[in-house]
Amino acid sequence: MASAVHELTPAEASAHPPAESIVVRFAGDSGDGMQLTGGQFTLSTALAGNDLATFPDFPAEIRAPQGTLFGVSAFQINFGSTAIETAGDVPDVLVAMNPAALKTNVEALKAGGLIIADEGEFGERNLAKAKYATNPLRDGSLAKWQLLAFNISQLTLDAVKPFGLGNKEALRCKNMWTLGLALWMFDRDRAPIIDWLKAKFAKAPVLAEANIAALNAGHAYGETAELAGPMKQHHLAAAPAEPGLYRTVTGAESISLGLVAGVQLAGVKMFFGGYPITPASAILHHLSRLKEFGITTFQAEDEIAAIASAIGASYAGQLGVTSSSGPGIALKGEAMGLAIMTELPLVIVNSQRGGPSTGLPTKTEQSDLYQAVYGRNGDSPMPVIAARSPADAFDCAIEAVRIAVQYMTPVMLLTDGYIANAAEPWLVPNMDDYAPFPVEFLEEAPEGGFLPYARDEKRARPWVKPGTPGLLHRIGGIEKQLGTGNIDYGAANHQAMTEMRRDKVLGVKVPDQEVELGAAGGKLAIVGWGSTFGPIHQAVRRARKRGLDVSHIHIRHIWPMPGNLGALLKGYEKVLVPEMNTGQLKTVLRDQFLVDARPLNKISGQPFMISEIEAAIEEALA
Amino acid sequence: MNEMTPVAKTLPKDWETDQEVRWCPGCGDYAILKAVQRTMPEIGARPENTVFVSGIGCSSRFPYYMETYGFHTIHGRAPAVATGVKLANPDLDVWIITGDGDALSIGGNHTMHLIRRNLDCQVLLFNNEIYGLTKGQYSPTSHVGTRSPSTPFGSLDRPLTPCAYVLGSGARFVARAIDVNKNLPAVLKAAHAHKGTGFVEIFQNCIVYNDDVFAPFTDKANASGSQLWVEQGKPLLFAGGTKGLTLDTEKLVLKVVDVVDGDWQAAHVIVHEQTNKAIAHMLVEMPFGPFPMALGVLYDDPAPTFESAVVAQNAQASAGKKPDLQKLLSQGQTWQVEKQPHAM
Amino acid sequence: MTFVVTDACIRCKFMDCVEVCPCDAFCEGENMLVIDPNECIDCNLCLPECPADAILPDIEDAAAPWIELNKVHAALWPTVTSNAGQTPEDAEAFKGVAGKVQYFSADPGKGD
Repeated sequence: MASAVHELTPAEASAHPPAESIVVRFAGDSGDGMQLTGGQFTLSTALAGNDLATFPDFPAEIRAPQGTLFGVSAFQINFGSTAIETAGDVPDVLVAMNPAALKTNVEALKAGGLIIADEGEFGERNLAKAKYATNPLRDGSLAKWQLLAFNISQLTLDAVKPFGLGNKEALRCKNMWTLGLALWMFDRDRAPIIDWLKAKFAKAPVLAEANIAALNAGHAYGETAELAGPMKQHHLAAAPAEPGLYRTVTGAESISLGLVAGVQLAGVKMFFGGYPITPASAILHHLSRLKEFGITTFQAEDEIAAIASAIGASYAGQLGVTSSSGPGIALKGEAMGLAIMTELPLVIVNSQRGGPSTGLPTKTEQSDLYQAVYGRNGDSPMPVIAARSPADAFDCAIEAVRIAVQYMTPVMLLTDGYIANAAEPWLVPNMDDYAPFPVEFLEEAPEGGFLPYARDEKRARPWVKPGTPGLLHRIGGIEKQLGTGNIDYGAANHQAMTEMRRDKVLGVKVPDQEVELGAAGGKLAIVGWGSTFGPIHQAVRRARKRGLDVSHIHIRHIWPMPGNLGALLKGYEKVLVPEMNTGQLKTVLRDQFLVDARPLNKISGQPFMISEIEAAIEEALA
Repeated sequence: MNEMTPVAKTLPKDWETDQEVRWCPGCGDYAILKAVQRTMPEIGARPENTVFVSGIGCSSRFPYYMETYGFHTIHGRAPAVATGVKLANPDLDVWIITGDGDALSIGGNHTMHLIRRNLDCQVLLFNNEIYGLTKGQYSPTSHVGTRSPSTPFGSLDRPLTPCAYVLGSGARFVARAIDVNKNLPAVLKAAHAHKGTGFVEIFQNCIVYNDDVFAPFTDKANASGSQLWVEQGKPLLFAGGTKGLTLDTEKLVLKVVDVVDGDWQAAHVIVHEQTNKAIAHMLVEMPFGPFPMALGVLYDDPAPTFESAVVAQNAQASAGKKPDLQKLLSQGQTWQVEKQPHAM
Repeated sequence: MTFVVTDACIRCKFMDCVEVCPCDAFCEGENMLVIDPNECIDCNLCLPECPADAILPDIEDAAAPWIELNKVHAALWPTVTSNAGQTPEDAEAFKGVAGKVQYFSADPGKGD
């Protein structure tokens, strides 16, 4: 734990069992480089062998006016020597680079936690912007925490003076000074950061040297400053992990890599039609640099052109992929229907964010489940898969590609802003462990003649590339005749085709649902999907340690659902569904299985805290 | 397919499907269909290599009547789908069939971007100045005052001039034709020969909802005096060569002049130069009435195409790089965990 | 595909078809009209107009004997695009009469 002087009360000890982990939150102005600081600290933590999870917390604006409350940007990291599955309920350490950062974050800091504040930024102007009447560093209002305040601004200026930088540029090295101190506090190696700084500022060696000097100065300060009490070094053992090669990966990166892996396993090229939107743009950016993998990326003029061009590419024999967030997915609805009616393979990735409408672009939520499962005109079923973490998203992306090409259908892959931006350590997979699923294009008419809408045992129709002689045919959005694919408005045919589309999707083979933790049956099941995995898992683990009969089930296949799920759920007396929405998975479970699933909803733009789910477990079992 | 075998020339019949054509009797679309089917053998098109992509509207039923690959997509989005088709396989011969509502109302944005990018394809815009399929509402090209089910007291908004819009979007090929006019196949041929987006506006008569809206220049009685068929390198003459277009050098607008005894030089009639954008702009902006309707290949000045630039960049960015997925996965800062976690 | 004019037109020449044809497909003989297969756009407008039901699509069996005749004479006869009173006075009397082939005249009409 971070504190040396604060004595834990028994209540506190039981509330937060002494885990070998620490939660640090860096907070500052959005121009202060908090994300960068946090990112580099993460890197050093990973290299030290700790397990970790991160949570970047951005404001919506690119650069809000300096010092304002709405311009605060924060980066939280939870790291330790045990398995880390959440970014931490409450920080143990808060690094506050200005009054606004302190104001917006201090209440979340645990009792007795440590505040490190840059005294140099706590002048009148900044205090006023943060709506402080008096200076909290001096007026005693921070008594319930431990406080270390020093003039990081001045210390940085002193450290970089030899390099002759202008005032603004010099102050920009503050985040490196702070990082240096943090590295000392948690006994981290500076070398990788120094290497990274040299590479980053390769074209401006003076800046590189200045930033390195600041880093070293912060580190030295920790080492040599005579500070009592809270300023001590912490040593966290490396977390036990499966041997192998690791890297950190964000959800956006892993989805991109998973899509590349998926099309390689399928033996087709990828066409990615995208449009910039928070928090999904990163996927477009990643894929646009991978041309050697046979990927064509296209920044379309709008969301609809993005999916329409992807559909055109699928028609022509590549795998079309498109990606967006809630509002963009809404725009794509009609085109999804076209892909369903023309039975073309397509992968649609939704990085969910706070909604509705423009909502909260940089905050996480999982409120697009209804949209994914139900949200098109007509009876338009589509497989839906949900990733639970950055590492999991890699496999989910491969699965989405597989279902799309094997069943000739669009597939929705759900992730969220949290997964997209957060990093976690990842055991780099060995592609030899993945079975290929090569696509077979139809190249000549089968015995009995060519029928564009003939079915195989999966109810998939043949994939024919334009350019192939002898297999000329026309497709479109109007209802199709079974077999021939001609336009058919007839009553019996429409009934039959609607049922066929429904049955094709319901027939998609998905693995049986497993229980993550606990038993198949009992008093209580916590059922989740998406990024609530971490908090649910920890909460259930802690509850089970206290002897409570509770199990954790986490669903990847939202549609169709695993065949055994209904029977599995019925084996519990109670079913609770924590969701960052007003109860969407809960509704589907109730509808599909007639099980009395109950909601636990949090729609605040923030992930669940472990304690929130623990409290709900207690209440359910009371 | 064995590329060495000489490809037999097709006949117009080879391009017909077995589907019963369902346009209204007398619809101009029939004439356009026939013209396209006649043009295909002349340009040496191969059915298996040809793709028709359409949006929604009477025009957009077109692919079902052509024995080629065809994709009947959604309202306004054919250019976007076609872009995906062409980027996925640049060897395909892509034709986009659209209408005044499909391309300029809901599809205006996509039309602009397709043309701005200059994808190599042909765009045939069937302009009947009305919404036919949905029973007669006015469209972005309808004259002011058009009475329709949605504008029973007459439409109020100013119509768009399709050719002006596409020129403004950066089009490198702009042509106009009339559905039943004999010159249509030649115009289609020129559009196909143009490497880049070949845009053709075809005045198409909607016999049910907007019959004879083009009669002022298509009727036999009016045709000669009101149609100006441009030809590369030839003077801009009409009305049997007795009238021509010249430039009013004071106002910098076109002016109709009389041509006596065929002496167009004396009347300073402009010679058509299809690479001259200024002429193209003036031709498409001439108000009909005081001026004739300019028809034929108005502008043809090729520029590099989008898909060829994409192909080139993909190749360049891939040069010397192996698609090693395992290596890609292992990128970034990595660390090795040995059997025992190392103590700090 | 094309449409063809059959013997039902001979000595009738009602001209309703010509009025509606959107392109210049009809050619005028002395006592009947034919359709030029190269001009016909299959638009279906003329067929219901003919009071004598003389027009058929060429894919129908009954049209078969007339395909060659239309093709050959369309090349020889002038195009006609409007009704300028070419219908003979006794047209009604010949409507629906069988065996009119004997009256067929290969001579061209006036045209436009």
